[in-house]
Amino acid sequence: MRPLAITGLGVVSPLGIGWSDFERGYATPSDDVFSSTCSLFETAPYEGVQLAEVRGFDAAKHIGDKGLRNNDRLTKLYLVAARLGLEHAGLKSKGAWTAYGPDDVGVSAANAYGSLEAIHELNLVAKLEDPRYINPARFPNTVINASLGYVSIWEDLRAFNATVVNGPAGAIDSVGCAEMYLTSRRAKAALVGGAEALSESLVLALHRTGMAPPARVGEGAAFALIEPLGAATERGATVYATVTGYGTSFEPPADDGRLFAPSRDALERAVKTALADASLSASEIDLVMSGCSGWEPMDSVERAALEASVGARSRREVKARVGETLGASGAFALAAAVAEFASGGAATALIPSLGFYGNASALVLRRAER
Amino acid sequence: MTSRVYVTGMGVVSSLGLGRREFWSSLLAGRSGTAPVSSFDASGLDRAIAAEVSAFRASDHLTAREARDAGRCSAMAIAAARMAVTDAKLSHDALRTERASVVLGTTMGEADVLSRLDESWIRKGRDAVDPADVARYSPSFLPLHVARAFGCRGAVLTLPAACAAGNYAIGYACDLIRAGRADVVITGASEMLEMLQYCGFLRLGALATERCQPFDLNRQGLVVGEGAGVMVLESEAHAVRRGATPLAEVGGCGIACDAYHITRPHPDATGSVRAMREAIERSGLTPDDVDFVNAHGTGTRANDAVETRAMSAVFGARRVPISSVKSMIGHCMGAASAIEAVSCVESVLTGLYPPTIGYETPDPECDLDVVANVAREGKADVVLNNSLAFGGYDAVVCFAKLGRLPAPEAQR
Repeated sequence: MRPLAITGLGVVSPLGIGWSDFERGYATPSDDVFSSTCSLFETAPYEGVQLAEVRGFDAAKHIGDKGLRNNDRLTKLYLVAARLGLEHAGLKSKGAWTAYGPDDVGVSAANAYGSLEAIHELNLVAKLEDPRYINPARFPNTVINASLGYVSIWEDLRAFNATVVNGPAGAIDSVGCAEMYLTSRRAKAALVGGAEALSESLVLALHRTGMAPPARVGEGAAFALIEPLGAATERGATVYATVTGYGTSFEPPADDGRLFAPSRDALERAVKTALADASLSASEIDLVMSGCSGWEPMDSVERAALEASVGARSRREVKARVGETLGASGAFALAAAVAEFASGGAATALIPSLGFYGNASALVLRRAER
Repeated sequence: MTSRVYVTGMGVVSSLGLGRREFWSSLLAGRSGTAPVSSFDASGLDRAIAAEVSAFRASDHLTAREARDAGRCSAMAIAAARMAVTDAKLSHDALRTERASVVLGTTMGEADVLSRLDESWIRKGRDAVDPADVARYSPSFLPLHVARAFGCRGAVLTLPAACAAGNYAIGYACDLIRAGRADVVITGASEMLEMLQYCGFLRLGALATERCQPFDLNRQGLVVGEGAGVMVLESEAHAVRRGATPLAEVGGCGIACDAYHITRPHPDATGSVRAMREAIERSGLTPDDVDFVNAHGTGTRANDAVETRAMSAVFGARRVPISSVKSMIGHCMGAASAIEAVSCVESVLTGLYPPTIGYETPDPECDLDVVANVAREGKADVVLNNSLAFGGYDAVVCFAKLGRLPAPEAQR
């Protein structure tokens, strides 16, 4: 692919809100971000869970409180990360455009399931009381793309708005999606990333399936502003890194009755495609931003695929620092890779992203030339 | 790298029939798929009609494993995809490759599975939540199930773009082919009727009491529908190589976002105008080339008025024939523009415009050449498929008769 510059990052994470706080928190990982309790729901029924909440998160502190009353947590995480990302990229200041304009910028981002919080809230009313009593002002939150729709509304992004759903691979696929839209000249720049909000529905689901524990569950949102490298240079933007390769693949699971089927073959192909796209050999990858979460059925597949495709490379376990954030996990891996570049150790990074059901994607990043 | 993109096969699951031929003949006959809601108890609601696909039984179209694993939304997608692949006379061997992708849209995905999970939790407690059902719930399942059914190994993507999801998916599929990243893409969208969604629209005041009457002065709102529309899209080289007979060419896809309101379209139709113009320009055409528009035409006061403004802005004084098949199949939400894309291609193939039924009293605010109540013969070499959606999404796809569009280099 033609290199895309990352010129801004907006992060709302258990490690901190805003790029500087995230960088600092990422550089000094601590188990203190995890807790057996959270402020959002009672965790006692979920023995052994460890959660990484964005503690004290108050969207109004970052974007004002007007219009937030009926938004759910997922939307608020998205909104704050988007504003921070646009400002960090120098496209906006205090909410006003300073570079490009509404028609020039699109957004593509992932979450794994839409807003489970919103759906459960309305189902409680519909199933226990009467469906005629559901709150119409909260109903839009149940629609999968609504939270990203609010991002366009708040930030006046009119070029495209693409919610991508592909489990843990979604955020990496959102980069691939935006790259396609930029290539086909549907926008000049795009926010890419993902968000996931802690909710009891999510934790219940992961607990019932045996994923959490051992996986620790996190939340947050992360956006990167990407634009063609030449355009970024021309407008004098700070380039933090470049996206140079993307690959995705699917391996149809064997017809043996299984539904859950993370695929080593698919991840190997995705990595191979991403490396070819970036014109890099496996030996030129300095750092792998692993997607391992502590849940062996997924982790073992990723390890095997990476061993076969890139061999032994330095690894960072991003989910050990922010938890499993599913749809947002690739976005946090991307942000973490940029933080690693800033600390000087690596010049190239591979982000593998394994889906639950046979899909996998991968992204290659390169440190910006100083 | 660029290429013509051909539609080589289509499949439909709709309230007016299963398969493109039954669907198209019903549309031309002006039949209504609207009936009393049967999939949930709507007896206490003051709106209780929908365009459900009551004839659809997953076991008729799916393997036993697929029928067990797939929710209704995925099941309809798999069935429509099988019809499309059969229609395209595409061998499964041609799909078992990294050059074959699946891109599907939806609004809610496997809503029945999620509803069942919530029902168990709410009524019986946490321990009643079935882990097997948890594993079955993901909006990403639609294309994954379809890719699994045919052995596709390329990009597999869900684009939940609400009521524009079908066009979003078709547009992205075209981009994949034009960029040389896929030779063949199974694309479209699927949506199932579910109580929570139905009641949400009811509470928003968007539902009609008896019927959907797009662009009519006395229109009351929309009728919720369900179904799936799937197409096989191929690069010209791939289609020629295997000797396929293309049905139509896909021109440009225009996408835009109103960035205005989560449920209401921009009153000036800014996004809709931009998406229509972009679809036309990306096809290498001008507005004068457009012969017919399949309207989004939901039958709500706001949508139809805004869409009229968009038509006026794009076409000026020229009255381009327009019709809304939602008057017959209801508003199939995420699947709407995918199912209607099938109708557009049928128009291109036959030179017939499906009617807008229930159109009785023209609305001065919707001063359009509506194909009222009876199908009409007309030139349909270039047809636009409009869609507007929750979140301010706008997506428009152009379909054209073979040989009508300029060289691929003039398209984008």
